[in-house]
Amino acid sequence: MRSPAAISAGALAAVLLAPLTGPATAEPFQLDGDPAPAFVIFSQVNDGGWSQALDEARQRVEDHFGLRIPYVENVPESASAIRPAVELLIDRGANIIVGSAFGYSDTFLELAEEYPNVAFMNPAGTTNAANLQSIYGRTYQSQYLCGMAAAAVSETGRLGFVGANPFGLVNWTINAYLLGARQINPDATVTAVFTGAWNDPVREREAVIALAEQGIDVIGQHVDTPTPPIVAGELGIYATGHHRDLSEFSDATQCSSVWVWDRYLIPEIESIVAGTWEPSPWGAFASIAEGGTDIVCCGDAVPEEAVARIMEERQALLDGKQIYAGPLVDRDGVERVAAGEVIGDGDLWGMDWFLPGVIAQ
Amino acid sequence: MDFLFNWLANIPPFAVPYALAALGLMICEKSGVLNLGAEGFLLVGALAGVGAILSAGASPAAALGIAMLATAALSLLFAVMVIALRVNQVISGLAIVFLAQGLTSLLGRTQGWTSRSFSGMPRIEIPWLSDLPWVGRILFSQDPVFYLTLVLIVFAAWALRNTHVGMRLRSVGENPEAADAAGIPVALYRFGAVVLGAALMGLAGGYLTVVISNIWVDNITGGRGWIVIALVIFARWQPLAALAGAVLFGGIEAVIPRLAATGFWVPQHFLLMLPYLLTLGVMVWSSLARRGRGGGPAALGDPFLREERR
Repeated sequence: MRSPAAISAGALAAVLLAPLTGPATAEPFQLDGDPAPAFVIFSQVNDGGWSQALDEARQRVEDHFGLRIPYVENVPESASAIRPAVELLIDRGANIIVGSAFGYSDTFLELAEEYPNVAFMNPAGTTNAANLQSIYGRTYQSQYLCGMAAAAVSETGRLGFVGANPFGLVNWTINAYLLGARQINPDATVTAVFTGAWNDPVREREAVIALAEQGIDVIGQHVDTPTPPIVAGELGIYATGHHRDLSEFSDATQCSSVWVWDRYLIPEIESIVAGTWEPSPWGAFASIAEGGTDIVCCGDAVPEEAVARIMEERQALLDGKQIYAGPLVDRDGVERVAAGEVIGDGDLWGMDWFLPGVIAQ
Repeated sequence: MDFLFNWLANIPPFAVPYALAALGLMICEKSGVLNLGAEGFLLVGALAGVGAILSAGASPAAALGIAMLATAALSLLFAVMVIALRVNQVISGLAIVFLAQGLTSLLGRTQGWTSRSFSGMPRIEIPWLSDLPWVGRILFSQDPVFYLTLVLIVFAAWALRNTHVGMRLRSVGENPEAADAAGIPVALYRFGAVVLGAALMGLAGGYLTVVISNIWVDNITGGRGWIVIALVIFARWQPLAALAGAVLFGGIEAVIPRLAATGFWVPQHFLLMLPYLLTLGVMVWSSLARRGRGGGPAALGDPFLREERR
């Protein structure tokens, strides 16, 4: 299973169960010797998306610390594959292991117990311990900004979105895309099509064509291939990307929501070295300020004043602005966030509702 | 009405791979060789087509030819295992899938073919006919492989019934002992059927990348090979029925994003389940009607050894 795919259930479970198991109230983690990070990467490092973003972060961490950071790629989500890879890296002296997948969660927890002197971090994971931290990004923040860019280039005000499956972390993206779009155009709508897969370029292509047939002129995405911008370019409409900067695939790309793991990992590694690292028992949920996702923006089609608005909103998010601030009523009329409140993390992971203006099944 | 024509005109991207792969699988199985490796053959064809374009600068048509050759080459391994060495056909087929998944993933990475887009095979507008209202767009402005598929299916349906080679092929799959006694070279026919069938599956895989997606990502076939196995059962090993089934299965897949894009609520997972439900229905019906193995060749899955007592 693709790493971001199955996060919600596990992360939700982590959120719900963590208070029961309780944090390990030990002293801060102490590293033996110099830091020696190593990466265990789920897919191939040139996959054009999730894994490549992690590998690019690995290289920037290398540059920052002046270290050589070894990695193992194509490590599937099974204990029989993860364990030998991690143990080999530890045998060779690694003492900070960075994972990359939801499916590593349980094995990383076992390994963390077996190797108490090794620090583990796992993007998209759900398990945590005194020396294990799982991380995910608040991707709705960057997708909100790309929603603004989308509305700024749309003539019809009707945006499309290609998602994998309707569940928490895809739904929060779609709702945020709409909220961002409505900053620019209060009448904007977002029509979502789900392909049922993270990695099916044929279905993604057909989804974009079907959306364009309806007069939709900008396509957002939360799938793992760069197909939506490519097809949008062929059809003469615009797109926004996710995972990495997709403008390399098509000039149709006006904004990309991109992972910036190095911004998260560098301070974490520094705190590990300083002996002040204390993993949260609920996992880390990195905002745009903490190094989850950011944007690469904007394409040529986005007008100057819209670019300025987007950058203003980005600064506001960096300063702590909440996107899911009440009052928010879903499209069925149910109040989801009361006036004056902001949404909790548990409600984000469990998001199974859409705002009025989202057209989705 | 626009909805209907948009839908019908966009069925081929889903239906053509099913139809081609089902035809290939059917030819292989008509000879009595059970082939569960369809997903693997599709993957190899899909990657070989991409590789031919990205690394050798091949034209789309040549890339499709290379996809067929590469898959045929892999099928030699399968053929040697199941025909010459008489290895269990179920296990050999599954082994081919795993081998192909690993091999394509490895080559895609080491050769730098992953997530690189290219321009593939364009659609062709048939003069005059493509200007016809409605049907022109649906039937006469598709890609060349679409027309080739129709020709191949009709030809195969005819050839299996009306040519010596076709009848011998079927006799090898129905009763290899009798065929052998009649002087038909059983192993040779089976060998040919496996290789020809695999080449057609390779064409189906190449179609996915070279004609439709114009990009390679790991496991791009996304389980289509398994759907094809269901489709062959559904079609009861009849080429024309396989074409109808491919249009049905593909039509369901093509309607889902269109219904969603119009904002119409669709029970997506229920629709995706329908083909399998129909396949089950066909299996139950043929079993109740006492039609042997649901229309499948009687010796399907049995290795043949001359003079062996059974």
